[in-house]
Amino acid sequence: MKTSVKKLVTGISASIALMGTGSALAEIKVGIAGPMTGPVAQYGDMQFSGARMAIERINADGGVMGEQLVAVEVDDVCDPKQAVTVANRLVNDGVRFVIGHLCSSSTQPASDIYEDEGILMVTPASTSPDITERGYELVFRTIGLDSMQGPVAANYLVSLNPERVAVIHDKQQYGEGIATAVRDTLKEAGVEVAMFEGITAGDKDFSSLVTKLRDAGVDYVYYGGYHPELGLILRQARQANLDATFMGPEGVGNKDINTIAGEAAEGLLVTLPPSFDEKAENQALVSAFKEKGEDPSGPFVLTSYAAVQLVAEGIEAAGSIDPFDVAKALRAGTFSTPIGTVEYDDKGDMESFEFVVYEWHSDGSKTPVN
Amino acid sequence: MQDLLYFVQQLINGLTIGSAYALIAIGYTMVYGIIGMINFAHGEVYMIGAYTALIAITGLAAFGIAWLPLVLLVALVCAVIVSSAMGWAVERVAYRPVRGRHRLIPLISAIGMSIFLQNYVHLAQGSRNMGFPLLIEGGFRFGAADSFQTSISYMQITIFITTLVCMTALSLFISRSRTGRACRAVSQDLGMSNLLGIDTNKIIAATFVIGAALAAVAGLLLGMYYGSIDPLFGFIAGLKAFTAAVLGGIGSIPGAMLGGIILGISESMTSGYLSGEYKDVVSFGLLILILLFKPTGLLGKPEVEKI
Repeated sequence: MKTSVKKLVTGISASIALMGTGSALAEIKVGIAGPMTGPVAQYGDMQFSGARMAIERINADGGVMGEQLVAVEVDDVCDPKQAVTVANRLVNDGVRFVIGHLCSSSTQPASDIYEDEGILMVTPASTSPDITERGYELVFRTIGLDSMQGPVAANYLVSLNPERVAVIHDKQQYGEGIATAVRDTLKEAGVEVAMFEGITAGDKDFSSLVTKLRDAGVDYVYYGGYHPELGLILRQARQANLDATFMGPEGVGNKDINTIAGEAAEGLLVTLPPSFDEKAENQALVSAFKEKGEDPSGPFVLTSYAAVQLVAEGIEAAGSIDPFDVAKALRAGTFSTPIGTVEYDDKGDMESFEFVVYEWHSDGSKTPVN
Repeated sequence: MQDLLYFVQQLINGLTIGSAYALIAIGYTMVYGIIGMINFAHGEVYMIGAYTALIAITGLAAFGIAWLPLVLLVALVCAVIVSSAMGWAVERVAYRPVRGRHRLIPLISAIGMSIFLQNYVHLAQGSRNMGFPLLIEGGFRFGAADSFQTSISYMQITIFITTLVCMTALSLFISRSRTGRACRAVSQDLGMSNLLGIDTNKIIAATFVIGAALAAVAGLLLGMYYGSIDPLFGFIAGLKAFTAAVLGGIGSIPGAMLGGIILGISESMTSGYLSGEYKDVVSFGLLILILLFKPTGLLGKPEVEKI
């Protein structure tokens, strides 16, 4: 009896395994992991729309090595715990390539799982340097690092001859990382950093912080974090007559900050990846997005598009769908994508990535300042 | 002088938040006082109050109505009605059917209700932050123009006054009105009140409704004060108000008021003199200390076990 049960179990698992390989031959599953819900879901929208478009266009062009790409979309709510859960789900689904995650604090724990399970991950949005610091073989990104973005912001602030600068962050991996880079660069340039302090993400009352900023007499405030908190800080600062210019990273640069901060968002400085959608060579792609009624101007749309494209070209270059071979091909090659020419260093970071300082307006538009 | 002005400013910030916490804390403390249960869906009732107010304000703006007192009144009335209905429904759905069973059962059903309401708003309104329009702007300032000025915004004054009015009305209601007397009787002895002909079901429902109405007022006020709302913001506020209620002595109405104010001031002083990072550490640390030395809270009465 016992042996027959065992046989049965082995038989079933063998047939499941066979079914698995059967479907893998016909198509290549690409996981897309990012926030579909939660407070930063609008960044997820950018990621999903860019990645979907890339998959659609690659499939229309005959796929990768004659096989179609199939998207497996999962929602991590930008929550580290949820990220681990969905990463495991992707593992169980037999996904071998993942585009994601978005928030650095989600990407970090998820990438441990992908590396262990032999899954190649390209994050189109996580800028924390720690992610590629661990010597992982299968982790790549199509975005710059805080250690590149922070100095761009800080150097711009230095060029404005500030008297006193406050640096605030949300204690999360992304926000604190970039705020630290800004503070260090400011200090090197001899600018007085009057405050370096964390707030709690999800908090709503910043009246005490604003009072403190007023008391410190700062003329510039750098905020490392996302727009829901900065929007409220801007609004409460304006109501309390704080006379200072605010600056933030790409995590604050989206139109939702205007619905929260209203008029107070005018004049906010934001470092963003350059507007890839305005480049002449991307116009065909931009009109494809517009035909679908989607907006390609968000900072993560074309980085996500490029991430899918890199996976596809990496597979073609390696001539194999083994993630380790693809990783080698990505490190070896030079790829031309909508975000420019991409070359990878040993860690999986792009050799160069540009950030531009924009001035944000209360109608949600932005103008480059440098 | 400047230090004093700074201190006063942080005090005002703390009082503002504290009085709003107190409004929400009333709901926890009244329900506990009467049926000895924690209404875990109370934070969600508050959140729904804020959403209703925002929808009312947006709706009026769409009709071109911008006369401030009217807008605020309509928003307040809508929020109070919807939240009260919600408070009543929570009692009917999650408490009444399981009243008298083991203590854990209503607790679990209330947590379920809270998750349901949170996700319902997620689905109905989306998960993004929604901005409140800036309705009450400006304020008074004190101090020399070239150094630190203490400012009280009209919004903060509105919050103080509204809280004061609500609290006075509630105290009068509890001490003077017939229903208020019945409330006190039910909280002292539910079975006996029943025998004496008090419709205890009605009184318990009324408690939920009063708590919900005050939470809706707080929802409108804090939504306008902060500037944005999201479906999760009832959770944190609920936790803070619950802390305030326990701090002041759960079951005691003056205790909830005192607890709210203490919590608000300790939060703003911590962010003002230490760092915003330690705000919650200090608030909850304070709670633990008070419970260690006075387990029933500041104004709570030691419970006599009835044998």
